[in-house]
Amino acid sequence: MTEVGGMMQFGPGATTAPVPPLVVEHVAKSYELDGGRTVPVIGDLSLTLGEGEIVSIVGPSGCGKTTLLNTLCGLLAPDAGRIRWHGREVAGQPQNVGYMLQKDLLLPWRTALGNTMLGLEIRGVPAAQAEDRCRAMLDQLGLHGFADHYPSTLSGGMRQRVALARTLVNEPDVLLLDEPFAALDFQSKLLIENDTVDLVRKGRRSLLLITHDLEEAVSLADRVIVLSKRPTQIKAVYDIALGADRRDVISVRQAPGFSDYVRSIWADLDVVLQ
Amino acid sequence: MTAEIDTTATPSAAKGPIDRAAGMGRRWLRLRGTLGVLVTQLVVLAAFLAFWEYATGQNKAAAFMFGSPSAISKFLSQMAYDGSLWRDTYVTGLETLLGFFVGNCIGTLIGLSLWYSRFVSRVVEPFVIALGSIPIIALAPIIIIWFGTGLISKVAMSTLSVVIVALVTSYKGATGVDPDQINLLRTLGASKFQIFRKLVVPASLTDIFAGLKLTVGFALIGAIVGEFMSSSEGLGHAIFKAGSLYIIPKVFAALVATIALALILTFAVGKIEQLLMPWRRQLR
Ligand SMILES: Nc1ncnc2c1ncn2[C@@H]1O[C@H](COP(=O)(O)OP(=O)(O)O)[C@@H](O)[C@H]1O
Ligand SMILES: [Mg+2]
Repeated sequence: MTEVGGMMQFGPGATTAPVPPLVVEHVAKSYELDGGRTVPVIGDLSLTLGEGEIVSIVGPSGCGKTTLLNTLCGLLAPDAGRIRWHGREVAGQPQNVGYMLQKDLLLPWRTALGNTMLGLEIRGVPAAQAEDRCRAMLDQLGLHGFADHYPSTLSGGMRQRVALARTLVNEPDVLLLDEPFAALDFQSKLLIENDTVDLVRKGRRSLLLITHDLEEAVSLADRVIVLSKRPTQIKAVYDIALGADRRDVISVRQAPGFSDYVRSIWADLDVVLQ
Repeated sequence: MTAEIDTTATPSAAKGPIDRAAGMGRRWLRLRGTLGVLVTQLVVLAAFLAFWEYATGQNKAAAFMFGSPSAISKFLSQMAYDGSLWRDTYVTGLETLLGFFVGNCIGTLIGLSLWYSRFVSRVVEPFVIALGSIPIIALAPIIIIWFGTGLISKVAMSTLSVVIVALVTSYKGATGVDPDQINLLRTLGASKFQIFRKLVVPASLTDIFAGLKLTVGFALIGAIVGEFMSSSEGLGHAIFKAGSLYIIPKVFAALVATIALALILTFAVGKIEQLLMPWRRQLR
């Protein structure tokens, strides 16, 4: 399964053109229903996620965004096409990829700290070192003093912050987020968006963000990909050039041109109101 | 980096005196509610006992047929005095505990490990249903032939009445784990065994403890049925012997001891549950 050309890029001195962390080529995916019928969900999809790039994906609900994300991180197998992480096709789960959903998926029997430590624990990082890193990450995300709280005692926004800490503490090169902030109130959402973008840009990480919130898509991303209805294809791509400090998602919303992007994407989505 | 936290959250560390007072008020209200229930329960019980005592006091035949609270307590103190109460309760308690422990260990172990293989669990399913539908009393004669008339046969009866329930509840717990949660662990690089140990087992604890509470009663029934078949001691033996001699208050006296035993064991399971699942205490 290993791509020889891709391997070469890892050799010493072979860094003329950096390999993008994620390249998707002509991926297709359908579901087999119980009756034997197949439902094509992803038609034919190609995209590239560059290093340090933030790409938002929007599309009508049910068009296959979650399916795409699960396919990318190896939880589902594509029917066709190639997915290359750092130039290589991988069997199973790719390394150094962070994955986060709308559901925080915190384990109720673990404290905020325990939940954050999950990934490091699995990889066998010594407990004391893992704990230090996790406490620092929780502090960075504004959860100082909450490390020993159980999830049931935290608010929705704080729980999602713990989930973000659990993802980021593993230092992933690429984050795949599936509507991570959709369940939060407006204020918590803006704050956590800001922290996410800040940490992602500071760490030169790449982020693929699925969202149905168009303002979120535009304010966070360098590029917005609009998907069509099922079987999904790319309908439009917007390079977001807003000039402002892209680490401040709140001021970006005031930048001239912001609402034009939102309006065009809205038109692309072609939402039919009954 | 922002140090802000959600304004919607109230960190308990920063709770003011007013919050704390409100918390105490709520705790008091809850305590008062529990107290009210307890008092009502005692009143109902007392009324029932008083009626029983009064009705059987009017009529010799009724006193013979139904016993009376005073006669029952007379037998209880007599049994306590001659030591048979403690001896019988100890014997039945030991049989029940051993059966409860062995049955739950075996059942839970199998139930949880069935999570590992969808294939094996599908193969096993009809057998489990078939075994679960056998009334254990029908097995008693065979058990006595195999294991004799001593402690072991009662423990075996008790184990058998527990094991299928434990297996089914723990399997239900293991397969009920959110698939998204499993996916999350997979993306964190977890092996199947790590998923089992860090997610499936703790996530099944709630169901396992529901099974434990249910099987306390089953274990006791198994032990007592075993004693009915053949025994020389135990509460089941006491009930059986008193019953065949038509000493009905003594039957009730042994039943009271049986109920007390069941309550104590159930209470103990509840305590262990609280100890093992401290995060549940913070819910509410
Ligand atoms: N496991 C599955 N089996 C069959 N159909 C599925 C399955 N998961 C999703 N689908 C269908 O595939 C389509 C895309 O789902 P999804 O990827 O969740 O969409 P989105 O995330 O864009 O809302 C939907 O129509 C959904 O009903
Ligand atoms: Mg979705």
